[in-house]
Amino acid sequence: MNSRSKRLIRSIFHIHRSSSMFLLYEYDIFWAFLIISNAIPILAFLISGVLAPIRKGPEKLSSYESGIEPMGDAWLQFRIRYYMFALVFVVFDVETVFLYPWAMSFDVLGVPVFIEAFIFVLILIVGSVYAWRKGALEWF
Amino acid sequence: MVLLTNPIYSALSLGLVLVCISLFYILSNSHFVAAAQLFIYVGAINVLILFAVMFMNGSEYYKDFNLWTIGNGLTSLVCTSILVSLITTILDTSWYRIIWTTRSNQIIEQDLLSNSQQIGIHLAIDFFLPFEFISIILLVALIGAIVVDRQ
Repeated sequence: MNSRSKRLIRSIFHIHRSSSMFLLYEYDIFWAFLIISNAIPILAFLISGVLAPIRKGPEKLSSYESGIEPMGDAWLQFRIRYYMFALVFVVFDVETVFLYPWAMSFDVLGVPVFIEAFIFVLILIVGSVYAWRKGALEWF
Repeated sequence: MVLLTNPIYSALSLGLVLVCISLFYILSNSHFVAAAQLFIYVGAINVLILFAVMFMNGSEYYKDFNLWTIGNGLTSLVCTSILVSLITTILDTSWYRIIWTTRSNQIIEQDLLSNSQQIGIHLAIDFFLPFEFISIILLVALIGAIVVDRQ
């Protein structure tokens, strides 16, 4: 009785054997998450755009500066410090990407590989201490 | 997307191109390379390019935007020729022969390991010396960049 009802349900709803939603089926949850996380802000903006009353005024068109009167220009001079931070970030990002596969295969490999990765990180810590002492990490 | 007027828009469209390339890597069943592409290219290098673009004054670029200057024509000619040569080279290479000659099953329990675990094992055992050299190269790059900035 159970298998017959199941077959009936399958024939009614056209459920196939592999019930995947999108093209790359192992990324199903990822695509679903991506679609939902894109739909929610769009929905929020649409609803507030429809429901909110629009009244223009001179105060509303000025820029926001935490409640005080806006002072100065909106366009700041781009300082070289920002570029230095991005550069240091690139180097340490590449180091992190190299640490990921080592971390994934950590339990299969033994202690010697641990020491080698330790040397890897140590050399880059030397680099980071150098960057620190030379003032590349100063924000002001 | 280099025809956009604002150079910041061009830099952001470069980021979009790099994201799409990482989707190609996902299709080729190399998920670690896709994630590494997202981390490094989009996360770090694209931000670097964006900051380099922001050094230029953007307000000078809106007026007299001439599309067909001599430099633009020459660059488009070079890029088109590179594209055509790449297409002919890719179509002429026998990829099956290369894949079959480099396939090696020396790793323990290869089917049970995921992609990035295999990369980790290869990196730590087969390519241990380049692994340490990579750290030295990164150190040299960091020190070089900071020394250049100090002046």
